[in-house]
Amino acid sequence: MTRAGRVSRLLSATLALAIVGCGRDGQRSALGTVGSSHDAATSAAAAPGGVVVDTGAPASDTTDRIQPGALPTVAAVSVVGWTGPGGKPFEVEIRTGDPVSANARRFGTITLQNAARERSPNVGQYPCTSCHLGRAMVLRDERIPDAHRNIQPLHPAQTGATCATCHAPDNVELLALRSGDRATLDHAYRVCAQCHFRQAESWAGGAHGKRLDGWQGRRVVMGCADCHDPHRPALEPRIPFRAPTLERPPWRRP
Amino acid sequence: MIDRTKDPTAADDASVLAKRLDRRRALGMLLGGAVAGTQAVAACSPAVPLTDAEREAKQLGWLEYIKRNYRSMSDEERRETINRLERLAKLQRGLDVRIQSSGAQPGVLFGYAFNISKCKGYRSCVEACINENNLDRRAGTQYIRIFEMEGGEVNLEETDATFQHEVPVEGHFYLGTQCFQCADPPCVKVCPVGATWQEPDGITVIDYDWCIGCRYCMAACPYWARRFNWATPEVPADAVNTNQHYLGNRARKKGVVEKCTFCIHRTRQGLLPACAEACPTGARVFGNLLDPESEIRWVLEHKRIFRLKEDLKTEPRFWYFTD
Repeated sequence: MTRAGRVSRLLSATLALAIVGCGRDGQRSALGTVGSSHDAATSAAAAPGGVVVDTGAPASDTTDRIQPGALPTVAAVSVVGWTGPGGKPFEVEIRTGDPVSANARRFGTITLQNAARERSPNVGQYPCTSCHLGRAMVLRDERIPDAHRNIQPLHPAQTGATCATCHAPDNVELLALRSGDRATLDHAYRVCAQCHFRQAESWAGGAHGKRLDGWQGRRVVMGCADCHDPHRPALEPRIPFRAPTLERPPWRRP
Repeated sequence: MIDRTKDPTAADDASVLAKRLDRRRALGMLLGGAVAGTQAVAACSPAVPLTDAEREAKQLGWLEYIKRNYRSMSDEERRETINRLERLAKLQRGLDVRIQSSGAQPGVLFGYAFNISKCKGYRSCVEACINENNLDRRAGTQYIRIFEMEGGEVNLEETDATFQHEVPVEGHFYLGTQCFQCADPPCVKVCPVGATWQEPDGITVIDYDWCIGCRYCMAACPYWARRFNWATPEVPADAVNTNQHYLGNRARKKGVVEKCTFCIHRTRQGLLPACAEACPTGARVFGNLLDPESEIRWVLEHKRIFRLKEDLKTEPRFWYFTD
């Protein structure tokens, strides 16, 4: 509001006061006819500049804040083999089938649309062993022809890798490391970091990837496969959100 | 002849006058009467019936009108104005908003880093910002701009920020700007009424009820970070973010300036700003510059970084970096 507007509003208010009566007595007699407004008006006169309105809700605290570490957060496991800034350990999120913990990330207006891609259906819902015989990478008799149809193995095609380069041949639920160790799918970053060590370094430091939930307290980051499809790691092009209107809105233009 | 010493009204007046009154408080007392006066006028003319809600809203509106600058308010006054604003939102729009007045955390200075190697120009940050900060949907206000830059290009003046095609485009990189929360902010220096200032955690904020809309700050900002409300901002009731801060995303008026506050209502609670939270590529790093173990410090110490228009000595707390 402009200063001129303020002044004119003040003047009109004072004028209204003058019309009604020339003193507090006059006001009071006039108020008597208004009825229910009486209480509100007298309280305004009694505490000018600050009527405490009872909204029924607790008054806002000037010091309230969520304590670090008390944030609603995702399920996560401690990162093996890498430390964050200052040598501090950190955690990587895991996707569980639990909708409660998944929805715990809803805060304000931000929803779960974080990942550049939705992770393929949960391994917990479709255990590998329901198709693969035992734990070895051998199929049962009844083959489902389009199993793994969502996998487009571009990455192995470009690098000359095979399934067994990353997946443990003796256990379909584990990943194979070059050292001969095994890693669970929760620790897939260990497999990626064998070649992409520069990115892993940045990821551990905080320059690559995404931290979840907050800048304060427990540090939980997204894993490599939360954004990059391991079989097709490049991010897809897309149409951006609408462009800004940088001009003055036309309906206000003279 | 009335004996003024025995008239209780007169005694009230005398005690009131005996107190030290500043101009604002005196106006408040006058307006307390004026509100009653307007109500009496309304009661006399049946053509202008006021419902209870309207009457209450009008009264709260007057008290809002004469309140002081946020910085000079006591905690009590802040609580009162927040209660009034929350009540007004309920009366006028039926919204249960919750307005914080949380102050800066001690030992915290916010900093931001933007990875120009990672940003793909999706503008997910823009979308999140609009929703989070209750930006005017009608005018299409946006705090963040994403520039589509040709490889090697550095001139923002001749760069397109209004691209609307599939991104990323080959041979281009994307650079986002918003309020940089400068350490030496020119916008604060030029404000003639002290309606904008820098908080201890580095966020430059605006008291929307103190801003007179002169737009000096917009002219002073070298980064085009501030936005002006040419009309009353329109946000559909079901789209309003009710988690608000007095110095942040609460309802703005026509004729005031607004800008990015690093999502003050989120970051003071330990959360990330909405843009950083929504970014699908992880190009945005946010944290405490005073914490040597923070990610932002790691980025500043390990990556090649630059800032926009460093020669102006505004010292933005917003860095760009590459992989």
